Amino acid sequence: MGRLVLRRLGATVPVLLLVTAGVFALLHLTPGDPIDVMMAESVDAEVKENLRRELGLDRPLYVQYAAWMGRLLRGDLGRSIRNGEPVVESVSRRLRPSLELALLAMTVSLVIAFPVGIVCAVRRNTPIDRAGATFAVFGICMPNFLLALLLIFFFGVTLRWLPISGYTDPLEEGWNGLRSLVLPAVTLGLALAAVVTRTLRSSVLEALAEDYVRTARAKGLSEWRVIQAHVLKNALIPVVTVLGLQLGTLIGGAVITEYVFALPGVGRLVVDAVFARDYPLVQGVVLLIAVGFILSNLIVDVLYGWIDPRIRSR
Amino acid sequence: MASDVSRRDFLLMCAVASGAPLAGLDPGPAVAADAPKKGGTLRVAFYIEAATMDPHLSGSKIDRQVYHNIYEPLVTLDVRLGIKPGLAESWQQPDPKTLILKLRRGVKFHDGTEFNAEAARFNFNRMKTEPKSVRKGEVASIDSVDVVDAYSIKLNLKRPDAALLATLTDRAGMMVSPKVAQERGAELERNAKGAGTGPFEFVEWVKDDHILIKRNESYWNRQGGPYLDRVRYRPIPDDTVKLQSLQTGEIDVMDYVQPRDVAAVKADRNVVVVDVPSLADFAYQLNHARPPFNTKALRQAVAYALDLEQIVKGVWLNVGVPANGPIPPTSWAYDRSIPPIRRDLAKSKARLAEGGQPNGFAFTMTTNNIPINVQEAEVIQAQLREAGITMKIKLVDSATLISDGNNKNFEMISYQWSGRPDPDGNTYQFYKTTQGTSLNWSGISNPQIDALLDRTREVANQAERKKLFSDLTKILQDELPMVFIVHPIEPKAFSPKVRGYEPIPDGMMRFKDVWLQ
Repeated sequence: MGRLVLRRLGATVPVLLLVTAGVFALLHLTPGDPIDVMMAESVDAEVKENLRRELGLDRPLYVQYAAWMGRLLRGDLGRSIRNGEPVVESVSRRLRPSLELALLAMTVSLVIAFPVGIVCAVRRNTPIDRAGATFAVFGICMPNFLLALLLIFFFGVTLRWLPISGYTDPLEEGWNGLRSLVLPAVTLGLALAAVVTRTLRSSVLEALAEDYVRTARAKGLSEWRVIQAHVLKNALIPVVTVLGLQLGTLIGGAVITEYVFALPGVGRLVVDAVFARDYPLVQGVVLLIAVGFILSNLIVDVLYGWIDPRIRSR
Repeated sequence: MASDVSRRDFLLMCAVASGAPLAGLDPGPAVAADAPKKGGTLRVAFYIEAATMDPHLSGSKIDRQVYHNIYEPLVTLDVRLGIKPGLAESWQQPDPKTLILKLRRGVKFHDGTEFNAEAARFNFNRMKTEPKSVRKGEVASIDSVDVVDAYSIKLNLKRPDAALLATLTDRAGMMVSPKVAQERGAELERNAKGAGTGPFEFVEWVKDDHILIKRNESYWNRQGGPYLDRVRYRPIPDDTVKLQSLQTGEIDVMDYVQPRDVAAVKADRNVVVVDVPSLADFAYQLNHARPPFNTKALRQAVAYALDLEQIVKGVWLNVGVPANGPIPPTSWAYDRSIPPIRRDLAKSKARLAEGGQPNGFAFTMTTNNIPINVQEAEVIQAQLREAGITMKIKLVDSATLISDGNNKNFEMISYQWSGRPDPDGNTYQFYKTTQGTSLNWSGISNPQIDALLDRTREVANQAERKKLFSDLTKILQDELPMVFIVHPIEPKAFSPKVRGYEPIPDGMMRFKDVWLQ
């Protein structure tokens, strides 16, 4: 297992190099200039030129990239062009809400998807199964922003049970923090639950048709015990794959949900940074998101080995 | 400037001048009928977060909203955009190149240091020399600042600048504690504790969450407020969610209501809307340096093909007024005898023929990819089609728009200027012949316009200046460096318990006299 982890970690280096170089090139190919955005109202060309020089934006691109890489190797992600704040600080401040939201959304999705997925598989082609399918189609088709606004309207405006927007850290103010994250977590969690439900249903169905299930039943085990001990463990691998891929997306890609609920997350940070052409900040966040994806895939691989020992021995 | 027109009369006047319904003139938050009382926290939502707490480095409108409560400018604006005393009690201009400001005594910065002539001089020098200063252009006409005595300064100007006083009503006139600026350095951008003299003191800025300010208990001006204990600003980027937050009482004030929401909000008894006519000028710059708009007749063909009334009604839902030029109806320099250019397809076709394109021509318009801009572009596209002109729409983000404008890489480009209290700020930098980068994206260079613009800076008499700006507007309507579309109104929405708010057309929310019922 240790070798697997080491090998996978080693493979991340070229991926990170490619991702950062690609983003760097794309960003600089995009029209727009950070100094122009920052000083849109100033006509003083000299001021702009001085600032451009001070920030090193007048140097050739490969020099800028090399300088950025050099700093990165020393653990320095640079400073935001827009407000001079160290990128590490901006990112780490935004990471906590994003992680909390991702974990809560994942919890919401699992709490819904497991019972629904299993019941749908066991009661295949019954009205229950069809209701589950309807839920899944709804969850997959429903646009994030619309679901968010509907939830806000219902639970925030009409019933006034939950706050409409804003973020309170659950680690500091437990109850209020959780309340502030419920609606965004449900918004993200429902869509994910739909995907997981469908995946789980089909993999449970597949496992139910296996010989070892017939054997287990022949041994006289209760149906519940058969599902718990024999079916579920074998049906988990595809679900873990889906969850692993989604975790990265939840952390870096929950832009619309963060925007609607005014949550200070990583997704909004990177989009705002792109609009401001804040190169170091975009680079820093993208690097972080790439690392997040790689790590979540690594966790998935480790989990495979734990769920299915045959993978470990390969 | 003494004003005998009340705020309400003034707004009605603007409405009459513009033909716009100002149905939101509910006396609610604007007129304090009951006795004001102290206490409470006012919760204000903006669409984005502030960028910096240093007024001399700021290029963001949201920053100014906070500054106008913690910092104070040397002079301030009244509801008719007249200049009234601020940190400067009075001023005189012995000659066109000298401005003497007599400063208020007994004013202290929040850090306890005294505001005096030395502090004022420090601030001007900082704006002129600080490398990241965005104020350099605004104070460019000031050559040097002399301390006359402890409470008087003399600004020696390089050239006459009739617009300077109006410029000093905003960030260029805001005084920062020299002690704080020197000791804190770049950290002032994030922490403005002790830095201002205003009715409220900076408490904290929790990035991405809120900015908190509290009442300045030793504020120099004992008349009226500050009444509020605290003001808490927070960003809510989504307009619908921001509005719902106001309707459910999570916030008390929102900075801007989208035109599409105005009618619904005005019908809501839990919300009070105040229409604040703005200084803004929304237009499209036409590139004079390349075809097709290097031909004047073709620029005119476009202008005659546009139906501004229809655009303001259909796209802006009457939350704005058709523009006759760059100067808004809120300004003393607005000349209501000059009508906006009226749609006349016959004239448009005649100009097409004159410009050598009797069968019409095609061009590309560059605009921001935001809903109202897209709608406006589509309406313009349809109107031009009726004149035989084909317009392609290129949607870009702000950064690309600015870069395309600065590099003159466009044929027609959207330009939405937030406006300045003095008409100079809506004209000079856009139409004066300039080399290199400037806001004159159209590249217009016209000796008559140049002469008029220079003259408006030299003349001190307001009536005379007004005449010059009228002449300028007429030439602009003929030369068309821009096609002028709309002067938007900026509706702000309040909870009914918010009292005492006075709308000034610069759109800034000053909370000194605001209180909670």
